[in-house]
Formats: sequence, C-alpha cells, structure tokens
Amino acid sequence: MKQLAIVIAVLLAACTSDRAEPKPPATKLAEPSDAIDQELMVALGQAKNFHHKAKLFMADGKVDDAIAAVRQILSLPFPKGAPEAEDVRNDARAMLAKLLVGKAQFDEAARVVDEGIAQSQRESFFVANLHTVKGEIFEAQGQAANAITEYDRSIKINEALQKRLLEQR
Amino acid sequence: MPTTDDEDDLMLGAVPDPDDEATPAERAHARTFAELVDKTLVGQTPVAMSADDRALLDVATVIRVTSGGLPLAASKQRSIVEAALAKAIGGGRPTTTTAELPSAPAAVIPLAGRERRRFVPWAIAGVSTLVAAAAIVLLVVRAPTVIHEVDTARVVPTEQRSRPTDALIGPIARERAGDAATRIDTIFADRLDGYRDRTLGGGKP
Repeated sequence: MKQLAIVIAVLLAACTSDRAEPKPPATKLAEPSDAIDQELMVALGQAKNFHHKAKLFMADGKVDDAIAAVRQILSLPFPKGAPEAEDVRNDARAMLAKLLVGKAQFDEAARVVDEGIAQSQRESFFVANLHTVKGEIFEAQGQAANAITEYDRSIKINEALQKRLLEQR
Repeated sequence: MPTTDDEDDLMLGAVPDPDDEATPAERAHARTFAELVDKTLVGQTPVAMSADDRALLDVATVIRVTSGGLPLAASKQRSIVEAALAKAIGGGRPTTTTAELPSAPAAVIPLAGRERRRFVPWAIAGVSTLVAAAAIVLLVVRAPTVIHEVDTARVVPTEQRSRPTDALIGPIARERAGDAATRIDTIFADRLDGYRDRTLGGGKP
C-alpha cells in the first residue's frame, strides 16, 4: 500500500508540475521549397570550377579539354525546378557552341544551341544569348539571313525582358 | 489421577486380552479419566496434564459429544466453529487441534479480519486501475503543445530564394556571349550571399 501511495504521489506531482510550468509553444519552421540551399550552392560551385577549368585549357590552347570541361556543366545535378539551373546550363551551351564554332564544328554547335532553346522553360537573357550564338554560327557558315533572324530574336527577347524588369522595379 | 507408576504399567505393560477382567488399577484410571472428561465438557479442564492424557481427552471428548448428545460449553463451541471457519477461509494458519481450542481461543483470528484481508488484493488492483485510468485521462486531456506553422515562404527575403538570374546578369552583349566564366562567378557570389544570410542570419538552410 505504501508503494501504491508513492506511485500516486509521483504521478500527481508530475501532472501538477506540468500544469504549473506550461511549456512555450514550439514553432515549426516550414521549409520553403525555393530557398537557396546547400544543393544549389554545390551545383553552382561545380559549374564555376568547370568554367574556370575550361578557361585555363583555352589559355593553353587545349580546346578539346575546354569543351570536355564545359560539357560536364550540362550534366551537373541542380535542385529540381531551380531557375539558376536553366540559366547556367544555357550559358554553358553558349560557351560550348562558340568553342565548337572555333573548331568549325558548326552542326554540333547548332545542335547544342537548339537543345538549349528547346529545353528552356522561359525566356531569359541566356536564351537570348543562345539565339545570338546561333546567329554567329549561321554567320560563320555564310548564312547571313538566318543569322539576322537569330539576332532579331535575341534582340526581341532582350527588349521584352528589360521592359518586364523595369516594370517590376 | 493415576500415579506415574500406574501409568507406566498401563502404557508400557503387556497388552491384556480383551476378555480379561479389568484390574483395579485400570478401573481407577478409567474412573479418574471419566471424571476428567466430564470436567472438560463443562469447561473445567485441568491446567496440568500429561501429553498422553490430553490426547486421550481430545478423543474422548469428541466421542462423548457426538454419541451422547451432550452440548459443549459455549466458549468451546465458538472456538471450534471459528477454527473451522478460519480453516475454510484459508490463510495458512496451522490447523488447531481440539485440545488447543479451550486453552487458546484468543489465537483464532477474528472472521472480520479475515474478510478484510480477502479484499486487500482487490482493493490494490482497483486503486491501481483507477490510477492508471486517471493517468491516461490526464495525458489525453492535458493541453497539447501548440505548434505554430509559420509560412516561411512569406518571411524569406527574395535574395535568399532560388530565382532567375536575369535581373542579376542583365542583357548579354554579343562580344561577351562566350564569357560564361565571368557570369557564373557573379551568379555564385550573389547566391552565396543569400545562402549565408539564410544560414548565418538565424534562418534555417
């Protein structure tokens, strides 16, 4: 009976202490899906390294190594839906295409550019840049009309974007 | 009462034939024993008595009562009944002999006490169940810890979010179309600032 009384006393004391000192409400932070996170920073850091690696290869005249380095940027894993991923990949495609043009690989350069334009989910300065590079490819091949068409598309995108950005400010 | 020598003769001597005539010593012993039985039945049991005489007296008393229709003394009846009931209720108490009943009636545990002891385990079980039920009720009823779901999508600043880099980079001039290395540096530095603000400024990565 004494043990039973002790158990009851302990239970009552525990309940009473909980009542006397209510815990502050916990705050649960919901994770925003578009917050900059470690995965994005790692991907951007990798892209940065590959670009600089390609730059060094180009300085040494190792164009093929530079092309290989830039191609690796295209396969970097970015967070799903991150807008930076599309921008960085399109910029890498633009650089890759220019390297390929330097090696007179016009078809491969055009394919790289077209893939980037086709896969883009939105218009951006990077998409406009791809059109510019595509114009250069046509220009290098002596297709001035096609080049002008691509330059015009690039200009049109840039103007629309700048207008939109100005309206947002 | 027979003398010790007589008892020795009776107890240690040869067993007489059933048809033999009783000796004077046997007759005297029987008469003395009969008086002893009569006194016992009226509640006047001698204080001092040999173990053999007490055993014989127990048997004789029971035989006399059962066959002769003589009532036992009230105190003795009560002792016998209480002893029987105590044994029936159980409790580990050693069985009392009828010889002990008159001399130690106080040793019998009152029935009321026995009844109380019977209910002790049930009382403990009942109280334990009540305590457990009360604990469960308290756990259920007690105020839950309030968790405030904060919509951080509204409190996270724009510069700490993943977003298009158009506003950061701006239009790309033709002569700089292949200068992706410089642009990636700009993008990385800007996002790193936002990431640092988020992780080091009290936010959660």
